[in-house]
Amino acid sequence: MDELEAIKVTFFQECEELLADLEGGLLAMQEGAGDLETVNAVFRAVHSIKGGAGAFGLEPLVRFAHVFETLLDAVRGGSVPNTVELAAVLLRASDILADHVSAARGLGDVDMAASAAMAAELEQWTDPNAAPAAASAPAPAVPVAEDVPPAVVADDDALEDDDLGFVFVPQTITVEAQAADAELIPSNVWTVSIRPKSDLYRKANETALLLRELNRLGPIKATLDDSALPPLESLDPEAAYVTWSVRVETDEDEAAIREVFEFVDGDCELEISRGEGSVDQAMAALLTVAESAPAVEPAAPAPVEIAPPAPVAEVAVAPPAAEPPKPAAPAAPPAAAPAAQKATPVEVPGPGQSVIRVDPERIDRLIDLVGELVINQAMLAQRVGEYGIAPSSNLAMGLDELEQLTREIQDSVMAIRAQPVKSVFQRMPRLVREVANMTGKQARLVMDGENTEVDKTVIERLSDPITHMLRNAIDHGLESPEERKAAGKNPEGVVRLAALHRSGRIVIEVSDDGKGINRERVFSIAVKKGLITPDLQLSDEEIDNLIFLPGFSTADKISDVSGRGVGMDVVKRSVQALGGRISIASRPGQGSTFTLSLPLTLAVLDGMVVDVAGETLVVPLAAIVESLRPKPEEVRPLGPVGSVLAVRDSFVPLIDVGLTLGYREQSPHPTDGVVLLVEGEDGSRAALVADAIHGQRQVVIKSLEQNYQQVEGVAAATILGDGRVALILDVDATIAMRRREGGAPRPTEPALIAAE
Amino acid sequence: MAAIALPENLDLKAAAPLKAALVERRGAAIEIEADKVRRLGGLCLQVLLAGRKAWEQDGQVFSIKGPSEAFVETIRLFGAEGALLSAEFQGAES
Repeated sequence: MDELEAIKVTFFQECEELLADLEGGLLAMQEGAGDLETVNAVFRAVHSIKGGAGAFGLEPLVRFAHVFETLLDAVRGGSVPNTVELAAVLLRASDILADHVSAARGLGDVDMAASAAMAAELEQWTDPNAAPAAASAPAPAVPVAEDVPPAVVADDDALEDDDLGFVFVPQTITVEAQAADAELIPSNVWTVSIRPKSDLYRKANETALLLRELNRLGPIKATLDDSALPPLESLDPEAAYVTWSVRVETDEDEAAIREVFEFVDGDCELEISRGEGSVDQAMAALLTVAESAPAVEPAAPAPVEIAPPAPVAEVAVAPPAAEPPKPAAPAAPPAAAPAAQKATPVEVPGPGQSVIRVDPERIDRLIDLVGELVINQAMLAQRVGEYGIAPSSNLAMGLDELEQLTREIQDSVMAIRAQPVKSVFQRMPRLVREVANMTGKQARLVMDGENTEVDKTVIERLSDPITHMLRNAIDHGLESPEERKAAGKNPEGVVRLAALHRSGRIVIEVSDDGKGINRERVFSIAVKKGLITPDLQLSDEEIDNLIFLPGFSTADKISDVSGRGVGMDVVKRSVQALGGRISIASRPGQGSTFTLSLPLTLAVLDGMVVDVAGETLVVPLAAIVESLRPKPEEVRPLGPVGSVLAVRDSFVPLIDVGLTLGYREQSPHPTDGVVLLVEGEDGSRAALVADAIHGQRQVVIKSLEQNYQQVEGVAAATILGDGRVALILDVDATIAMRRREGGAPRPTEPALIAAE
Repeated sequence: MAAIALPENLDLKAAAPLKAALVERRGAAIEIEADKVRRLGGLCLQVLLAGRKAWEQDGQVFSIKGPSEAFVETIRLFGAEGALLSAEFQGAES
């Protein structure tokens, strides 16, 4: 059953996307977006999950999804008002649905009591009058669902036994489930009127294909109108006479239906309307059919055959026998049916988008190869340069073109791997809800920049640090609602999660409007734990940074949420492993902001190749503001060894890269070299002194950590065109190192003191 | 009784010959053999519908014999089962 397993894997992949859509939609509803489109999208997500789950006989999941879906359908139909409170309930239900999906996947368990309680709550919302019905059942069910689970389940049964037989039958087969669906759920019914023109056939298009395509969206019932058909003798065999009115039952929207007719645009008159078609239309159809050959009659009831709550229920006189045809092709043998059925609900993620799933390893390999190509191209260019070939020669021009092409290939390949951080962000609302519940705090998550794109490898490793920082922000940052009220704040705290691009890196900010870091306590804890000596004088910023020390935990008691003592130091280490940095800004009473800065990609970099004390270094171009040759009068000494550079009315510390990295003992005078004015992550500027600039180049990053180990002041290494290895400078770290040496004698890394 | 064997592919190109064949055999009961049909297009459907009406007018039998699965399926898709399929194929059951 490998094939089935493969389909199952696809189903769970789809489930993840659907759950994300669901949550996104519900969040939008909570923000007040109550439009039909959103509600429909939410309904579709749950419906698709249920459909797929039914195919695999995932009973608890189907069962819960059904209750969920029923309520959503009622919301969609307008019988349950769409309120913010409802959205909150639905959000909690979506969490339980996600648990069910995970459980079905074999990851984790569902709290069945919570699930049953939620199901009961959903039913309560669906039909507030359900209580009397339940009371009439043998079980003495209580109107509100805060009862013990067994009673709730009884309630559940009583309520649904008229419409939900299949869910309780184990071994449900898809076809049945789907057919039952079609009867039970008054899904979207559309009426599509198709009037092919002769051109349609002349262009080798075919109505049968259109109908077949429609049939893929959902069960269809076509009613044919041949009233315009001339007698056989005068019939033009290549002209179109017959028209159709098709009743489609689908969860897709109008665009999806329209898409079916994309290729016959203009060759076919099309009319799409929601519902069963108006009464007039239905009557007209009946009349025309009645006028035409009596043989067509059996099809006549179709247009007025109606699922219960549809708008024209008054004319629902059709006998129950007039069932919609089953979606499966009649010819398909029963054995093949489950597979085909399963594929249908999951294979239509959204209109107009086709997505290819590719094994990431293939992309990684491609990226590696392109990296080699870039290096190779650079080497080639350099060799050619060495032969002194004129830049206007054909060879040099060809090389230029090659360079451009290489670059384009590289950009495109990188774009394949770039993904919006959304995939990580969308897991966070649930986390915030859960942590807030657990800690008894009120928290609202505001997200910004979800569409910021980052390399996939970076995204994958973002999740843990963000999760941790958010937990911390709620658990330690936000005050309890009472404390907040007392402080004159809104009892609901706001946690902000934002992503943005800044100077060629991605910056993730997690901020809260809580109490800020209690520095006195942080300091005393650090002393108590023996991490620092009590007489140490630290700046506010340095105290804040103490929380990144291993073994530091500020929580008074260890909670479930955070504060197991493996907190921020783990975050810091995982961020550093990605070539990133983390910093804190905290203001007492106003909250804290954690800023995480990471490289956009771990593969390529635009850099300035410079010469320092005989070594070749690459300075990331993104950090460089300008390069200049300082004049003697612009250099001013500061302190015993330091000096600053006057740049347009401001002074910038001069940093000799060679000295900082330990290439030389004595700095040459800055006026002998070249100065690169750089800007760090935090916006601070510095002037890096190098001996000479070789030029600007794109380099392929080769990780130093993977091949050797992390070196302070060096971000990574690369291979230059001539085959030599060059180090890529970590600008921020260099500035920080310089500050430590040249500034106050105390180090900003208090860990060193702890070691003493 | 006249008989016509339908070809495999009843597309645009088949419509005119099909009409001609029907017109030629008008006036007597006819049996259409649809066992080989694999594709049925809208134009041939029209010809068949018109033929069926014509035979009805004449008071003659117009029957479709041994329809292939593809034929039955397409006819149902078109919603033309009432006109072109005998009772045993008209139901929705598969």
